[in-house]
Amino acid sequence: MAFFYKQIKFRFFELLPIFLLFFISFNGNSVIDLRFFSINIHYILVYYWVLRQPNSMTYGFVFLSGIISDVVYGFPLGVNSLSLLAIAAAASYVRVVTVRITLLNDWISFIPALLIANFIYFLTLYFSDYSLSYLDLFKDSIFTVIFYPVLWGIFSLMLNFMRS
Amino acid sequence: MDTRREDVGITIRSALLAKGTKKRFYLFSLTILSVIFIYLETIETKPLNYLRSFIKDTIYRGSVVVSAPPKAISNLTNYFISYINLKDSYNELKKENDLLKNNISKSDYLELENSQLRKLIQEQVESSSDFASARVMLDKQSPYNNSFIINIGSNKNIKNGMAVLNGENFIGRIVDVNFFSSRVLLVSDLNSKIPVLTEPSAYHSILSGHGPNKPTLEFLPENHSIQDGDKVYTSGKEGIFSPGIPIGETKIDNGVVKVLLFSDLSQVSFVNVKLNELNLDSEK
Repeated sequence: MAFFYKQIKFRFFELLPIFLLFFISFNGNSVIDLRFFSINIHYILVYYWVLRQPNSMTYGFVFLSGIISDVVYGFPLGVNSLSLLAIAAAASYVRVVTVRITLLNDWISFIPALLIANFIYFLTLYFSDYSLSYLDLFKDSIFTVIFYPVLWGIFSLMLNFMRS
Repeated sequence: MDTRREDVGITIRSALLAKGTKKRFYLFSLTILSVIFIYLETIETKPLNYLRSFIKDTIYRGSVVVSAPPKAISNLTNYFISYINLKDSYNELKKENDLLKNNISKSDYLELENSQLRKLIQEQVESSSDFASARVMLDKQSPYNNSFIINIGSNKNIKNGMAVLNGENFIGRIVDVNFFSSRVLLVSDLNSKIPVLTEPSAYHSILSGHGPNKPTLEFLPENHSIQDGDKVYTSGKEGIFSPGIPIGETKIDNGVVKVLLFSDLSQVSFVNVKLNELNLDSEK
């Protein structure tokens, strides 16, 4: 019974990142728009889990969630999936080159990943004839970086539960 | 130097590609697939449109289901907040009611005068427009996009470009039609450009959305005489919208002509889609 309970708990925490990924995609919470700033939790979620627990966040799910976000927000299909895959690719690269897991390492390496993803995002929307507020995108990037440690802490807690 | 370059190459390969035979090129192929998807969005063919409609309709339904619990919590919170503010809103409504009672007689008089003047200039009064009513299915506000999904689509003869009204006020236009749903691009969206006419100053201009900020009037003559409170209507110049649909009123802020919309876009639950003449002909 204890083993069974442990198995359920393990499966639950293992699937939690995927649930979260699809929940924010379907619910349109990729970018949390607060009064003066916005945070892209989608990027943070993908980056963290591809970096720390790649088995829980496969590229296929990342791609699908990007497609869902595109539909929910009304962007051309493929825009969000491309930028999310860029984030995932950057996270995979960082996972291979880093030895010690620290918040600072993750945080600093998240900045170029975010820049690449936002550049792709901007470029694809530009070529799809979609106007975008550069200021909003810039603010979104800044606050996503600032809030990274908060979500890093929450996800680390989840990861610890999963591993315990 | 060469060794370093080799190291980076090996790292990239091990990070992105070499994960066993099955996952080899997985990320790469998904990236290519995304690019293909983006390219396909620019192609308009019937089979592709059907496929897109099917995908979008399915995802919208899924989104409605997933959004239900958070929406219920939000509604419950709003209910409690409104309950707490009950007394204040009662007083406010009472004042508003008194004001409206005073205005009713004035409005009746203006309506009568209007009909008499119309007869006088022998204006051909339009036949009653056909509307399709719809419910807002999904309203996902993002800092980059101001649009929502309504629950009617090509099944009710909705077409791209049709005007969407909240009550009698223009709030946006249809930009994407699926079988059972359509996307409405609101006038506040960055991509929204609507030809309008101001009254009584009678200037043609373009109403341009600015996201969370108020929409503004662009391409006005340099020495225009627009004043605060001038009414803004659709001009019907591009031939899709009927002329004279009310949108809002002007407010000049540091030389920029902003438009205060008659409808609160965050509170829209039901809308009317104005079916144009072309559509009516096809129906017949």
